[in-house]
Amino acid sequence: MLAHGFGCDQSMWRLVVPALERDFTVVLFDHVGAGNSDLSAWSRERYSTLNGYVDDLLALCRELALGPVTFVGHSVSAMMGVVAAAREPEAFAGLVLLAPSPCFIDDPETGYRGGFSAEDIEELLESLEANYLGWSGAMAPVIMGNPERPELGEELTNSFCRTDPDIARVFARVTFLSDNRADLAEVGVPTLVAQCSTDAIAPREVGAFVHARIPGSRLVTLNATGHCPQLSAPEETAAAIAAFAGGTR
Amino acid sequence: MTKHLTLRTRTTTAGPVVEIAGDLDYDTADKVRAALPGLGLRPGQQLVLDLAGLSFCDSSGITVLIAARNHALAAGASIALAAVPDRVSRIFRIVGLAQVFPTHPTAAAAEAAWRPTGG
Amino acid sequence: MCETNDEEGGGPEGDEGPVDEQAQFSALLEDSAEDLYEHAPCGYLSTQLDGRIAKINTTLLDWLGYQREDLVGRKHFSDLLTVGGRLYHETHFAPLLRMQGEINGIALELKAADGARLPVLVTSTVKTGSDGQPLLIRTTVFDARDRRAYETELLRARREADQERDRLQVLATTLQQTLLPPALVDVPGLDVAAHYHIASVDQVGGDFYDLFPLAAGTWGLFLGDVCGKGAAAAAITSLARYTLRAAAVYDPDPVAVLGNLNTVLNHEYNGDDPRFCTVVFGLLTPDPDRGGFHITLASGGHPPALLMRADGTADFLPTPGGQLIGVLRDAHIATTTVHLVPGDTLLLHTDGLTEAHTGPTAGGDDRYGDDALLDFGRALAPTTASSTISAVRDLLDTFGSGVEDDTALLAIHAPQPPSEEQQ
Repeated sequence: MLAHGFGCDQSMWRLVVPALERDFTVVLFDHVGAGNSDLSAWSRERYSTLNGYVDDLLALCRELALGPVTFVGHSVSAMMGVVAAAREPEAFAGLVLLAPSPCFIDDPETGYRGGFSAEDIEELLESLEANYLGWSGAMAPVIMGNPERPELGEELTNSFCRTDPDIARVFARVTFLSDNRADLAEVGVPTLVAQCSTDAIAPREVGAFVHARIPGSRLVTLNATGHCPQLSAPEETAAAIAAFAGGTR
Repeated sequence: MTKHLTLRTRTTTAGPVVEIAGDLDYDTADKVRAALPGLGLRPGQQLVLDLAGLSFCDSSGITVLIAARNHALAAGASIALAAVPDRVSRIFRIVGLAQVFPTHPTAAAAEAAWRPTGG
Repeated sequence: MCETNDEEGGGPEGDEGPVDEQAQFSALLEDSAEDLYEHAPCGYLSTQLDGRIAKINTTLLDWLGYQREDLVGRKHFSDLLTVGGRLYHETHFAPLLRMQGEINGIALELKAADGARLPVLVTSTVKTGSDGQPLLIRTTVFDARDRRAYETELLRARREADQERDRLQVLATTLQQTLLPPALVDVPGLDVAAHYHIASVDQVGGDFYDLFPLAAGTWGLFLGDVCGKGAAAAAITSLARYTLRAAAVYDPDPVAVLGNLNTVLNHEYNGDDPRFCTVVFGLLTPDPDRGGFHITLASGGHPPALLMRADGTADFLPTPGGQLIGVLRDAHIATTTVHLVPGDTLLLHTDGLTEAHTGPTAGGDDRYGDDALLDFGRALAPTTASSTISAVRDLLDTFGSGVEDDTALLAIHAPQPPSEEQQ
């Protein structure tokens, strides 16, 4: 089961799915409020904390009744997996945390370094508030006007054009203000922490922190750079997921 | 939604004949209203509204027909309707206007029925 | 759009022609291409696939206040962005660039060496080698200070327009509500339900209804439709509503009530822009001997009420000859009387319902019509007031935007006595 992160939808997994499909049943979904999900199902109350998403995740597992799944969560979705596995371990055969960060903000008291200062995050949220309309306005013609590459297709257009600014702002708050460091120790299922060699959003020491706090977890550092290894290095990412998932069943 | 209404005006010995075709409703009624002063009705003439091409008429349409009647009466002229579609005559019956507007099967019949008055 | 055919660090190549001319032309071109690259009116930046800056032009260095050696090989493109921009770069820009091979005209902010912000528009393409493998990313950066100011202004104007529109809609809705009774009175032994369907949130329609007590043991009810929409129609709706209530207190005979309304409207609006309404007014008295209610209905050009009987039959109650109110000095008012026995339901409606477009798209030529409404009533009978209203609401929902005009509905029902109801 592959869960996308902030600003994206399930199309982010398109390059790793073919490799995984050979050996596994792959479940893709859009979080409520993203991609082709039913936007009317979104509410500010339910989705202003990670819990709304975690509830959805566990409901999805029950509904599909596939038995324990290997959950692959990218970025903020990695923490959804952590909270879900702490709550209902029996639903999960294992977790793959791709470019995870339990807390983006530095915590000088404990010496934790999330990569951003509290001021950075404030600025970021302000800039989201101020710029999202401008951004989405600038995005629309980009994605519409791509006649040379029709194979990119409708779904990309749809997913990015449908990013509702209000929903994105709330999701940004959930993503960047959550602190799930305490939940890490509650994870009792086999866990793989997969981080990128260079990642401006989730630096390597954050990956090391996650690895250290989750009992018995394994850490791999991909050669991939950036925050989205499933796009920048799909083969390497798929191989890491497959090797781990193959070992947990 | 696009609404279509066309007006064609011609003059006979009895007076002007206005052919109203299309939907006569809130969005198009003003077009008829605006055309009234330009008809140059003289006392004793008969204004004929030919509704053969009328596809729809709602309360705004009724209003403008009444406005046309008031306009004609104020000019000392009379008014008649020709070729009233079934739907419209049904509405006329409901709103009780059937007695108020003399009606004829065709514009020619309306012209033939006209009698010059003293005016 | 400003472009360069310059290979990273190299010049133009592969020109053909006489050697002298070619050399001369080539030298000229090389000079101008290099100069264009460095001093173009836009910033140029080439990075490795991981974003590390490999090459940058003088224009961009000047904008940012950096020395070449500060950046080349040391910094990543995302290091030049504000934190918000960096996040956006990682979550949207870079993934899209990977997926599409190019990305155009993205608004970002660069952070200059002195901390100043520079709004820019960024376009990036991935350069691939002959084997199709991505090699590096080329980026052009346009100064967008003017454009950003313009966009900000545009956004502000749009927000204002949105607020203004919301305000108007609230106003229209509020106005609409003041034209309707806040709640219908409770008539002992009578089941009552009503609904007002608003066709447009921007424009106030002119439908109205009410149910109110008169002398002891008598109630008045009316439902009507003022021709037209908007503020002018709303003014007449108000006038009609209050005139009807006042006239009914003075003389509750339904013919007299509508006659008074006709006189008032005819005096008020007898100009070039005639205003009129169609109304049905009813006088309601309980019948202690037979059960149920006795109703006298007077109609001024209004569509007939629909009676759905306890025995499962249904019919319109025609009032032929009743004339619309406000046009003629002496409008003829037609009446009919009906005894509502226990189990009967009477529905009053305005023609927004029967004139609704029923085609698959709302623009279709088919309108719902009286015959369909009669069939609907026959299928529904016997029924109750609330069941009738909810069934018609469902019906209106199926028409969607095909309902072009406001629609008022008022249903009254004489319930079966409790003992019979339980059987």
